[in-house]
Amino acid sequence: MMRNMLNRFAEVPLAAWLIGALCAVYLEQWVGDPLTELLLLPKIPVLFGCLIVLKTPKLIPSTVVFLILIYAVPICVIAYAVRKPANMIAAKLFSGPIWISAILHLGLLYLILHIWSDISAYRELTLKFTLIAIIVTLSLNLINGYMGEFSCSHPGFMALGAYGASVFSLVLFADDKNFGEALLPGILGPFMFPLGLIFGGFISAIGALVVAIPSFRTRGDYLAIISLAFTFIVKSLIENLEFIGGPRGLGSQPDFSNLLVVFIWTVLCVWIINNYVQSVYGKATNAVRDDEIAADAMTVDTRKTKMVTFMFAAFWAGVAGGLFAHVLRFVNPSTFGIQKLAEVLAMVYFGGLNSVYGSIVGAVSLSLLGEALRPLELFKWIIIPLLLILVMIYRPTGLIAFKEFNIRNLIQPKHIPEDEV
Amino acid sequence: MTYFLQNVVNALQWGSFYALIALGYSMVYSILMLFNFAHGDIFMVGSYIGFGVAAALVALSAAGVVVLPSWLIFTLTILVTMILTAMLGMAVERVGYRPLRDAPRASAAITGLMIGIILETGNLAILGARRVRFPDLIESVTYEIGGVYVTNKKIMIVVVSLLFMVAMQYFVSKTKWGMAMRAMAYDYLVVPLMGVSINSIARLTFAIGSALAAVAGILYGIAYPVLDPYMGVLFGWKAFVAAILGGRGSIMGATLAGFLLGFIEIFVAMVFPSTLRDLIAYSIILLILVFRPHGFFGEPYSAKLRL
Amino acid sequence: MPLLEVKKMTHYFGGLRAVNDYSLKIDAGEVRGLIGPNGAGKTTIFNLITGIYTPTEGNVILDGESTIGLRPHQVAARGLGRTFQELRLWRHMSVLEHVMMARYSKLSYGLIGAFLGTSKRLKEEEESRQIAMKMLDMLEIKHLAGDSIANLPYGAQRRVEMARALATEPKVLFLDEPTVGMTPEELNQMMDIFRRVRDELGLAIFLIEHRLKMVMELCDRIQTLVFGEVIAEGVPEEIQNNPKVIEAYLGKEAVT
Repeated sequence: MMRNMLNRFAEVPLAAWLIGALCAVYLEQWVGDPLTELLLLPKIPVLFGCLIVLKTPKLIPSTVVFLILIYAVPICVIAYAVRKPANMIAAKLFSGPIWISAILHLGLLYLILHIWSDISAYRELTLKFTLIAIIVTLSLNLINGYMGEFSCSHPGFMALGAYGASVFSLVLFADDKNFGEALLPGILGPFMFPLGLIFGGFISAIGALVVAIPSFRTRGDYLAIISLAFTFIVKSLIENLEFIGGPRGLGSQPDFSNLLVVFIWTVLCVWIINNYVQSVYGKATNAVRDDEIAADAMTVDTRKTKMVTFMFAAFWAGVAGGLFAHVLRFVNPSTFGIQKLAEVLAMVYFGGLNSVYGSIVGAVSLSLLGEALRPLELFKWIIIPLLLILVMIYRPTGLIAFKEFNIRNLIQPKHIPEDEV
Repeated sequence: MTYFLQNVVNALQWGSFYALIALGYSMVYSILMLFNFAHGDIFMVGSYIGFGVAAALVALSAAGVVVLPSWLIFTLTILVTMILTAMLGMAVERVGYRPLRDAPRASAAITGLMIGIILETGNLAILGARRVRFPDLIESVTYEIGGVYVTNKKIMIVVVSLLFMVAMQYFVSKTKWGMAMRAMAYDYLVVPLMGVSINSIARLTFAIGSALAAVAGILYGIAYPVLDPYMGVLFGWKAFVAAILGGRGSIMGATLAGFLLGFIEIFVAMVFPSTLRDLIAYSIILLILVFRPHGFFGEPYSAKLRL
Repeated sequence: MPLLEVKKMTHYFGGLRAVNDYSLKIDAGEVRGLIGPNGAGKTTIFNLITGIYTPTEGNVILDGESTIGLRPHQVAARGLGRTFQELRLWRHMSVLEHVMMARYSKLSYGLIGAFLGTSKRLKEEEESRQIAMKMLDMLEIKHLAGDSIANLPYGAQRRVEMARALATEPKVLFLDEPTVGMTPEELNQMMDIFRRVRDELGLAIFLIEHRLKMVMELCDRIQTLVFGEVIAEGVPEEIQNNPKVIEAYLGKEAVT
């Protein structure tokens, strides 16, 4: 019986699931409020009820009912109902260029996220940070997973990107006490913002050179401490630069990082990094990791491979930093310290090394878990580490390691199994 | 000149902490090829255990149950704390590292990092946010030698640290267990063939490293009596730097690198505004690594993180 | 002009002289053998010619150009393919990926192509996929293309290493004890493959081997190396009957 049910759902394509989820989030917007009153909930369960349940356990039944009525039932029913037309459309799109189909799926996904996060500002903020965490995790995975080194410099790269992008937009588009009046009309701001992010990314890529040149001359664990020293140096450098606010930080960045912008950059990052790691140039990082001498003998330019991958990863960390600064609209150097490092490392190793899927899973699950367990206060910092230790013991390379991210497989139509017809 | 000498004294004390912690770090790193990111927090817990033991002994003494002279309290505190912290170290090895013996090294580093966070949080959960004050075990006496002020505490801290470092050097180079450790650092697979189990060596390594961190914790508590749960974090990462800077497989190297780090930090703060301390200190370390890429005493080796 | 020429190469490790006054000439289509007892410096010579070490003295000329000072990947890209005595495979890659990786220096789509997946990249990678499949076919392991390397039996792993070296389009192929640990049957198959590779691709082979039978059958000329010095050089029959060689292999008593 159960297997039969699961078999039936096996023919539901991704598009149908997305349509189901879209209906669910619409439903939540329409009937969410009356339903919460009916179920005596204080407000709409923001993060799938985790916060409510942990604060007042006796609301568990009503929260579960809410989740079933709003999410589980509509998603399953609608996804199942539209599976046939969805399969047909997916098949039609699949026969054309892949990017059209991919963009349509992403559009649906964005719509869902947008409507879902419309309910509360807290949801939106959590969502943005989660998306940014995906960029950071994926870029660190390039170094620690794909290349097999141990780098501690990501907070430093993020800081460079955050300050680079912030200075860019504050100088050009904002009247700021540090940098004086805006040089360009503010209306251009959102359009020039990508340039600011890229500017920040390039600054951290240049910073990466400082780490890469001494550490890739020799092999061994030196990258670990050189990169750690780099993080300390960047933090301390920013603390000492008064014109960018010193230890007090830099605030009132223009509000350029709306959900759409963050979403687009995350998609871009996943797409480009995924392209890279599947190319021969990207696979060369794996070859360097698994056997550098063999890589050399097979004509692979190992030094260039390491340099490029490291700077590429730093670039994305910088972009993530820039987005982060504009979401929070405030940065200070202490954000980018050891704590941030532990957080990012945890996401990479939890999700899985050498895997785009893994990084997405790691970033999303740990970001959401971090928010969802907030009511537990101190104990959150016992539960999350314990969870990670368990994952490390039972799956030492992380949950979904060494798995290629294949867009085609994801969006292809699911055909009905032969024996069912 | 006196100002300079005064800073030498301070740097010796500050470097002692780094050296002792880096020593334990370096042992785990050299022998087991692991980054023990929990080490800084073991230092912190050692300091707290030391505080507990010392406070208990002082209270017993004050209540007149057993009247002990202060030097005996100090010695007992060190011994008991070392034993207790060594047990903690062994527990950490058992829970966080042994199951990951065949896993990538980085995974073990992550469990270490997580155990560290659990230790910090556990401390906060048990003792609350208030800071505790380490009892004054030693009456502070200040000597003035040619304008340089030296307290008996500082002398004692440096002497005790040096004693432990010399003892360690002796242990590793002269005893049977020490030899087994060095053999393991040299070749992982040969040790079981000699009839010594990897597990017992690993346990011993963690026990000794943690005991040394406990000594550092007590000495730190004597010099800077206010303890807090996050005090181990920075020490841990800096000792990590010192351990690798010293070179793999070199206990002397880690000790020297610890002192060097202490001297650099103190002297940078002496010459430049203190806000520039980290910036300049780590830039110097970066430069050192550019010119001595294998650390001070380490041999060139190539060890990738096994995946 | 020989395809590969090594002129008076000497190398020291610290104060220790590992290779002394070594010279070599290989022409296209030739199979050369290098034999000698363990520790004679055979692999060191491979590493010196392929650029892993830079010789203290001497010169290496490949196709008319000196390769001294080039990094190993540059030497490899100029036409020196090699296999390793201890298998050096990339444990997380599939068989096909191994062989495609060896096309690295032949690709020109650059980083932009890698980042954006341009049509140029698709075209070039499809080409290298086809070449890789051809190599796998030549070594009779085409059916294993999608397999993960770690699951393959030893003999198949050896073949992957060969295919990978061939995919770099070498002019000279260096084989470092390619049949170590193989059964007699596998050995015979391997020898057929060597011959076929030489004939079809027209490349020269430089072979380190312990099994004298194989060297004698396969090689046109053989060098014998003892303590870093060539003590005998010639066609197989000469080597077989050379008293110095017999002494090096079997000890003094055997000669007298």
